Amino acid sequence: MSADLDARPAESTRDDGLDPTSPLVTRRRAFGIFLVALAAVTLLFLLGEGGEATFVLRDITGGDPYFQMPDLVVSVGTVVLVVAILAAFAGGIQLARGFGRRTYLVLGLVLALFVFAFLTWATAGSSLNLLAILRLTIRQAVPLVFGALAGVLCERSGVMNIAIEAQFLTAAFTGALVGSVSSNAWVGLLAGAAGGAFIGWLLAVMAIKYRTDQIIVGVVLIVFATGLTSFLASQLLTPNPDLNTPAIVSPIGIPVLSRIPVLGPLFFNHTIFVYGAFAAVLLVHWALFKTKWGLRVRSVGEHPRAADTVGINVYRIRYQAVVLGGAVAGLGGAFFTLDSAAQFSEEMTAGLGFIALAAMIVGRWRPFGALGAALIFGFAGSLSGGLAIVQVPIPSEFLLMAPYLVTIVVVAGLVGRPRPPAADGVPYVKE
Amino acid sequence: MRKHYRWGAMLAASALVITACGDAPEETSTEEETTAEATESAMPTESDMATESAMATESGSETATAAGDADYSACMVTDTGGVDDRSFNQTSYEGMQRAEEELGVSISVLESQSAADFEPNINEFIDQDCDLIVTVGFLLGEATAAAAEANPDQNFAIVDFDFFDAEAGEDITFDNVRELTFATDQAAFLAGYVAADQTETNAIGTYGGLNIPTVSIFMDGYLAGANYYNEQNDANVEVLGWDGAEGQFTGDFEDQTKGRNITEQLLQNGADIIMPVAGPVGQGTGAALRAAGTGKMIWVDTDGYESVAQFQDLILTSVMKNMNVAVYDTIAAGVDGSFEGGLYTGTLENEGVAIAPFHDFEGDVSEETLTALDEIRQGIIDGEIEVTSGG
Repeated sequence: MSADLDARPAESTRDDGLDPTSPLVTRRRAFGIFLVALAAVTLLFLLGEGGEATFVLRDITGGDPYFQMPDLVVSVGTVVLVVAILAAFAGGIQLARGFGRRTYLVLGLVLALFVFAFLTWATAGSSLNLLAILRLTIRQAVPLVFGALAGVLCERSGVMNIAIEAQFLTAAFTGALVGSVSSNAWVGLLAGAAGGAFIGWLLAVMAIKYRTDQIIVGVVLIVFATGLTSFLASQLLTPNPDLNTPAIVSPIGIPVLSRIPVLGPLFFNHTIFVYGAFAAVLLVHWALFKTKWGLRVRSVGEHPRAADTVGINVYRIRYQAVVLGGAVAGLGGAFFTLDSAAQFSEEMTAGLGFIALAAMIVGRWRPFGALGAALIFGFAGSLSGGLAIVQVPIPSEFLLMAPYLVTIVVVAGLVGRPRPPAADGVPYVKE
Repeated sequence: MRKHYRWGAMLAASALVITACGDAPEETSTEEETTAEATESAMPTESDMATESAMATESGSETATAAGDADYSACMVTDTGGVDDRSFNQTSYEGMQRAEEELGVSISVLESQSAADFEPNINEFIDQDCDLIVTVGFLLGEATAAAAEANPDQNFAIVDFDFFDAEAGEDITFDNVRELTFATDQAAFLAGYVAADQTETNAIGTYGGLNIPTVSIFMDGYLAGANYYNEQNDANVEVLGWDGAEGQFTGDFEDQTKGRNITEQLLQNGADIIMPVAGPVGQGTGAALRAAGTGKMIWVDTDGYESVAQFQDLILTSVMKNMNVAVYDTIAAGVDGSFEGGLYTGTLENEGVAIAPFHDFEGDVSEETLTALDEIRQGIIDGEIEVTSGG
């Protein structure tokens, strides 16, 4: 997350000699003021509400842990006070001398503490299952992770992929259809990947071979996939419900690990999609940064002419990356029908493809960054659900806005200026 | 260079064509040309709403046996869920289909893909000279009111909307619009009572699609029913997801994933019987219950035991809102020439709302509870029991 600070370590660690009006100093001050303001907000709005908050840390519908995790009971006043003091302290240090390259880390920690204080305040006098919120955070991040990885693969090779939504929808549809016909979730999963890869291939043909404007192709593909799947759903799936009851994947508890309290239900009792999402992050990271192929992908994304000069087939590498990306997004799309909702319905991906795109940008075109961003967005979504249960005095419409609000704040406020691959979206013309 | 523009254009064009197909008015009209016999018979015009609707059903079926009427055309504009939403659009459409079958009227339907389609769809039917335009859903209220005002000779019926002049603060009616509303809180009250009786975890849950009156009225009745159970039986059943004013909402009637996620949270916070009031999104609850291997659900609008048969073993009961009957009755009245604007309210008394049988769970509901339910039903009809939560 600290890439642009890394680039200028001398400036950011010691800026005593810097001109006080330089953007870096301004930024340091802005973060410091933000932290102090956060402390003030915590004190002003969250203090006063007394009582205790109970956080449940168990999977209460099932699971058989080695020992029963007791509920976490905290005093609201204490938590709020401690968080406010820590935030003010961090803000003071930031204003005085700055945290340097650890700024984002501190900022993230303080924000996490603030969220915890807020949750404690909201839960005062009642109880909330914290584990469920964290577990859902992971589940909600799954399609975003796959989508963002698809974006990373495509854009690292220099092809802009805003059609993630189209790949999701198509894959959700093919996954549901094939998963129903074959009564096998694994076959459905493959069909989902194939559906996503098909849209990826269309994008590749348009963007690489015919050099069409990639934003327009992306939009057109989304409209195309929405129309096609809605049409087929109403004409094919609705009259034949048998074609829309796919075999679904069931959770696979990892022996021993899944029975560890808290961590077990959180990480080790999920469906193949969740494990797959984490594995995909590792795989894509390895493929992009540790293999010859990955080096080629990145080189055609940064400077295709140079890559071409040394004998790399720019077109072929781009085709491979885009189609593979489509298949990865396809896995995310299959999640909707083979895991989450257990059937296809029109426009069911509900714009998550765009949130995945945002996750890719927030994650700075890196697999682990994308994972982090997807988890933040997933948390925002699952938090709003949890808050509605403890009945915070916030209108439900605002709670539903939370994930999108977080997206805007994170993209605009924290990421700074994103730096996409240099040749992203630029068609390559061989001379 | 020229070639790829052509490809781009082709893809764009085909995308547009296919979307157009998806959005296209799926018209199902019958060409049946049956001779019409005037049947303006046993149709009293000055009776109260309840008996009128009952009569309409009767005279409707008489008409059906007597003759069809292909000259009468009933046209429906749906909300975004579409006629296959296994919920309110579908139920209303069933009323249309029954009218087609039994009265021989010709029917057609336009499915709205978004709120932007409401007005054009209504205007399309006005241009087609429909005898009656049925608009389905609270969200079509404004568009219907505007169309009704602009076309005083066109008859309308709107499901789920009671016109109200917010500025003047008074109820309004149009002579050419029949407002089909439902006191669903009455039936939801019964469901809330049963849920409170059946819960094993001492907590029940609910969530809605949007916080709009036609959705929250279910949740309100449900909450009131559970509270009434607590009062009567000195119990302490908690209702998660609705507090009388605010609650848990998915934000739309499409995203089943959200339904599943919310249900998981409700389950993890202790609720074991969930009532989703979100049309097809409710199927996400079924998926969540399946995955968790525990819990039951209460379906709304239709008897879920039939409409979402894949979750039969999870459905405790359903809060039924008999829109099909109301729509059918309105068409029948139109055929008879006795169409009247104004308000119709489906209640427990006139069976416009009801709770479905317990089906698979019949053995679980005790005699005592059944008796109590009958008493409550009567109490609500007599006005002795208040069905709102008062929140």
